[in-house]
Amino acid sequence: MSVLEMNNIRYSYDNKQNVLNGINMALDEGKMYAILGQSGCGKTTLLSLLGGLDSPVDGQILYDGQDIEKLGLANHRKNNVAFIFQSYNLIDYLTPKENVALTAKLSPQPILERVGLTEEECKRNVLKLSGGQQQRVAIARALASDTKVILADEPTGNLDEDTAAEIISILKGCAHEMNKCVIIVTHSNDLAKQADTIFRVKKGKLIQA
Amino acid sequence: MSTWKRAFLYTVRKKVKTVILFFLLLAMSTFTLTGLSIYKAADNSAYSLRQSIGGSIRLELDENNRANWQYQQAAGGTMVAYTGTPITDKDIQEILSVDGIKSYNGLGDGSVFAKDFEFISGFSFGEGSDYSRLPSVTNSEYFNFFTRKAFRLVEGRHIKEDDDHVVLISTAVAENNKLKLGDTITVQCCYDSGDYPDVTLTIIGIYEYMGDSESFHTTSTDKRNRLVIDHKAMREIMQRDEIQYDNGVDFYVDDPREIDGIAKQIQALDLDWDCFKLTVDNSAYEAVASSLTAMQKLIIWMIVGCVLVSVGILTLILSMWIKQRRHETGILLAVGITKGRIVFQYIIEILMIAILAFGLSYVASSFVSQGISDLIFHRVAESQEAPEIEVPDDGSEYLDITGQYIPYDTSELETVESVRVNVRPSDLLYIYIFGALLIAVSVSVASITVIQMKPRKILSQMD
Repeated sequence: MSVLEMNNIRYSYDNKQNVLNGINMALDEGKMYAILGQSGCGKTTLLSLLGGLDSPVDGQILYDGQDIEKLGLANHRKNNVAFIFQSYNLIDYLTPKENVALTAKLSPQPILERVGLTEEECKRNVLKLSGGQQQRVAIARALASDTKVILADEPTGNLDEDTAAEIISILKGCAHEMNKCVIIVTHSNDLAKQADTIFRVKKGKLIQA
Repeated sequence: MSTWKRAFLYTVRKKVKTVILFFLLLAMSTFTLTGLSIYKAADNSAYSLRQSIGGSIRLELDENNRANWQYQQAAGGTMVAYTGTPITDKDIQEILSVDGIKSYNGLGDGSVFAKDFEFISGFSFGEGSDYSRLPSVTNSEYFNFFTRKAFRLVEGRHIKEDDDHVVLISTAVAENNKLKLGDTITVQCCYDSGDYPDVTLTIIGIYEYMGDSESFHTTSTDKRNRLVIDHKAMREIMQRDEIQYDNGVDFYVDDPREIDGIAKQIQALDLDWDCFKLTVDNSAYEAVASSLTAMQKLIIWMIVGCVLVSVGILTLILSMWIKQRRHETGILLAVGITKGRIVFQYIIEILMIAILAFGLSYVASSFVSQGISDLIFHRVAESQEAPEIEVPDDGSEYLDITGQYIPYDTSELETVESVRVNVRPSDLLYIYIFGALLIAVSVSVASITVIQMKPRKILSQMD
């Protein structure tokens, strides 16, 4: 059984034109998926629906075969999925370690070291870290929450090429070594090529590339 | 990470906000605690004043009901005699069952000739012996002439309920007749309507009349001729089967503030209201407590204003700060922390600061409350007119049994010069309880706009 499924999902802003129209997809553990598309095509909306940040107008999203609306969206966000954002979205008054500890089910320090942060860096103010380091903290936070699914929205959008490559490598490791289902939204074809499966959002429809 | 730990870390690490909020809460709680303490102090002062000044309710015969009054022959001409239901001890006992009444003083009325002594002689309209009217009392200490300082006991003691055939006479009568404590005098009722015996009374007290004795008086209207006697003596003088309270009964209440309610309860009793009427007198308290009452009203407005302004400012500041924390709210929602938990965190943050600020306000309030109280009290007192005892429209409350006004010495009325303020730990407890509630309300109101948004909208606004 797929860990995450979308059945005939429809979404529109204020009940006007459909941004997503009849989306069906099944996502498995141990794989990295890329969702490609132009700006404004609805790929971030798709990710938000998968993560329970918003509800579809129509259709069902299943996690391990259970409707996430019935599980409770807050509960789904807390226990089933973890987000990684382009702008890192770390809490400014917490250290990297404390950010990771926010909803951690695993011990934060080993995970932070695994993604490449030193013990000294873990105690600094999170805003005093570089962009790459901050994104590593965000990845560590996602890993520490010990969820089966990681949803990454343009995770390398603010990073230089080398750092982006490192981040993608970590995410691939999450999928292949840690058996996570990693879904990356991106507009970069190069990044998408690193994924096991590529989807493309076009005119509200999802096409497997 | 627990909500408590997040709240603690925010409070400790956002130092500028914490310090601003600390001083804001300190100022608010100090003003409110000071207001509360002054209000309670004024209330205590008012209570003490009420206890010392008191108030009374008079049950008396209704002179407006003409059916109860008839003309009767008496010394010197005709007089109007009461023929309706008399006020008796049964009525008094029924009224004493009402809560809040601490004592009573019944007033009887009679007119007598002096048999073995002489009254101070006044102007006479015709032939005939001098006579004077005399009041009988349950307790002469409560008799109007004494409470209004028209009479002052200079020798002996007051008449009490158990006394039998005793009298208080004036210094003038005592000097005129060379009478002293323990001597006896004999009197006889001066009415023509029956045979009245000579009655002997023992002098147990001598009073001094403090009013004007030089003005024009007949013998019976000269207050120095008042013989204040007990009811048992009056019953024998007037040859009655039971004690009657011709001039009514004054009931004294514990707290003049409750006087109207007590009067209503008395009015509800099964008494002969065709013959009786009730009059309330708390004018003395109303007059001297006017500054305190005005001060209390002002303080209530101050407290209400302070609380409203506090909630307003707090809500405004928190609204601004919580909007600035949209980013954090979005992140917390994204990681699965519920909206309720997020608002709870914001409340805890403010409460942590409030615990310290409220505690310190106890010290600050202790320093400033007396000064503020004095300032307010003197401002209020200056704006109040000097105490003046109100006379009821018909003036009857202040008439003596011959229809003359009893002088009222207001110079000896107890007044309040200032209010002693003590900030009490119990008041601080109020601040903690209501402060916590106000903070919870302020934070909840301030959070509405952000919390109502969907997590995705918050996060999309962040990018």
